[in-house]
Amino acid sequence: MKAILHVIEYDFRNFFRYRWFIIGLIAMNLADLFISAVVFTQMTSIANFNYFRFFAPGLAVVGLFASAFMIGREINMEVRREIHHYMLSLPMTRTELAVGRVLAGGLRGMLYMTPLLITNFIVLRFPNLPQLLLILLTLLLLAIGISGVSISIAVSTTSFEKFVTARGVVYYMLFFCSSVFYPLEVIQVLATKGLGPLVTFAQVNPLTNGSDLIRSFLLDSPDYVFSPLMLLNVAIFSVVFALLATFAYSKILQRH
Amino acid sequence: MGLKKLWIVIERDLRMFISYKFLLIMRGIWFVSQVALFGLIVNQMVQTAAEAVHINYFNYYVAGVTIITLYSTAMFIGYDIFEEAEHGVFEYLLTLPVSRRELVLGRSIGGGLRSFIYVGPLLVIVLLILGVSNPFHLLVALAAMFLFAFGVSGMSITLAVAMKSGDKYDILIGVLDALIVRLSTTMYPTFYMQRAMPAYAAVAEFNPLTYAADLFRWGTGVEGALQFSPLVGVLGLFIFFFAFTFVGVVFYERRLEGGNWQ
Repeated sequence: MKAILHVIEYDFRNFFRYRWFIIGLIAMNLADLFISAVVFTQMTSIANFNYFRFFAPGLAVVGLFASAFMIGREINMEVRREIHHYMLSLPMTRTELAVGRVLAGGLRGMLYMTPLLITNFIVLRFPNLPQLLLILLTLLLLAIGISGVSISIAVSTTSFEKFVTARGVVYYMLFFCSSVFYPLEVIQVLATKGLGPLVTFAQVNPLTNGSDLIRSFLLDSPDYVFSPLMLLNVAIFSVVFALLATFAYSKILQRH
Repeated sequence: MGLKKLWIVIERDLRMFISYKFLLIMRGIWFVSQVALFGLIVNQMVQTAAEAVHINYFNYYVAGVTIITLYSTAMFIGYDIFEEAEHGVFEYLLTLPVSRRELVLGRSIGGGLRSFIYVGPLLVIVLLILGVSNPFHLLVALAAMFLFAFGVSGMSITLAVAMKSGDKYDILIGVLDALIVRLSTTMYPTFYMQRAMPAYAAVAEFNPLTYAADLFRWGTGVEGALQFSPLVGVLGLFIFFFAFTFVGVVFYERRLEGGNWQ
C-alpha cells in the first residue's frame, strides 16, 4: 500500500507541473458553461428545456474525462523516452506500480473536477450527504475507468501522434454518443438515420450514466431518477478498464 | 523579393503540414463527428428555435464547423515555429539563401494556404450538403475565407513569436480558441446571443470568425440576408488579414535577429 501511495504522490507532483495547462482547461470548461450553454438555453427555451441546468452536470464529466486522461499522455511519453528503466529500478512490484498509476490518474481527475462540481452545487442545488457520497463514488469510479482507458491506449502505441488520434476517436465516440451534451431522448434521432447501434451505445455509455446520476440528484426533474444500475454500469466500466490497464502496463514494462 | 524563394518557403510549410498525417486524420474525424453526430442531434434539440429565425440549424452548423476547422488548421503554424525553436531548426533556416522577409512572408502565406488546401476536400462535401444558390456570392465568400485563413496564420505567428514558452502558447491558444469560437456566430445565430447576453453579441460583431462564417453561409445560401453588408464583412476580414500579416511579419523578423527566440 505504501508503494502505491508513493506512485500516486509522484503522479500528483507531475500533475501540478501542468498548472498552466490546468488553468487553460478550466477556462475552456467555464467558457462552455457560461457562453455556449447560456446561448443554447435561449435556443431550447421554447421547448421548456433549460439547457444551462442540463449541461452543468455534463460539464463536470467533461472536466473529469480530460484530466483523468492526461495520465496516458505522460505514460506514452515515458514509454517513448524509455523512462520505464528508471521505474523498474524502484523498490516495488510491477503490479504496485501499475495499480498506483491507474489510481493516480483517477484521483487527479477527481481533483480537477472538484471546482466544476462545486460550481454545479452553486448553480443547481446542494445534495444531501448520502447523495453527495454517491456522486463522489460514481465519479471516482468513472475517473479510474477513464484513467484505465487512457493507460491502455498509451501503452499500446509508441507513437505520440497515434496516441493523440486514438484519444480523439475515443473522446468523440464517448462524448457525442452520450447524454453529456444533449438528453438521451434527443439522441434517438440517430436511429431514424440508420445509426441505431450508436443509440444503444449511448444508453450503455458510462458517461451517460455518470452525468445522468448527477442530474438525478441535482435537477429535481422527473426525467432523471436515480437507479442503482447507473452505479453498476460505471463500476463495471471502471473494474474492466482498471484491470486491463494494470495488465497492459505491467506487460509493457516486462517486454521492454 | 524573389518569388521563387518565397515559393520554396511556402512549399516547405506545405510539406511539413502533410507529414502530420495522424493529426490531420484526427481533425477529419472531429469534423465528421461534429457534423454527423453533434450537428444532427443538436439540430433536433433546437429545431423550433432555428425555425423562428428562419434557418435550418443543421446547415447553419455545418457551415460554422467548416470555418472552425479552417481556423484551427491555420493556427497550426505557431506550433511549427515553437518546434523549430526547440529543436534548433531556426539556426538552419537562417543559413538558407533567402532573406528574412522572404522567410517570414513565405511562412505566413504557407500557413494560410495549407489550411485552405486541407479544408478543400471537406469544403466540397459541405457544398454538396448545403448546395450553392449564387455562384458569385460563393466566390466572394471563398475570397473572404482566403483572407481569413491568412489572417489567422499571421495571428498564430504573432502569438508564437511573442511568447517564449511552448506550454504557455499552447494554453493561450486553447483559451483563445474557447473564447473566439464561442463568442462568434459559428455555432449559434446573433439573435440568440443577444437574448442570452448582449455583451456576447457585441463581441461577436467584431469577431473575424463571425464575418467568415456569415459570409460563407451567405455564399452558400444558408442565410438569405446578412446582419451586415457583405462589403463590410470582406473589409473586416481584409483589415484582420492585413493587420496580423503585417504585425506577424514584423514581429517574426525582429525575433529572428540575435537569437531572440531562445
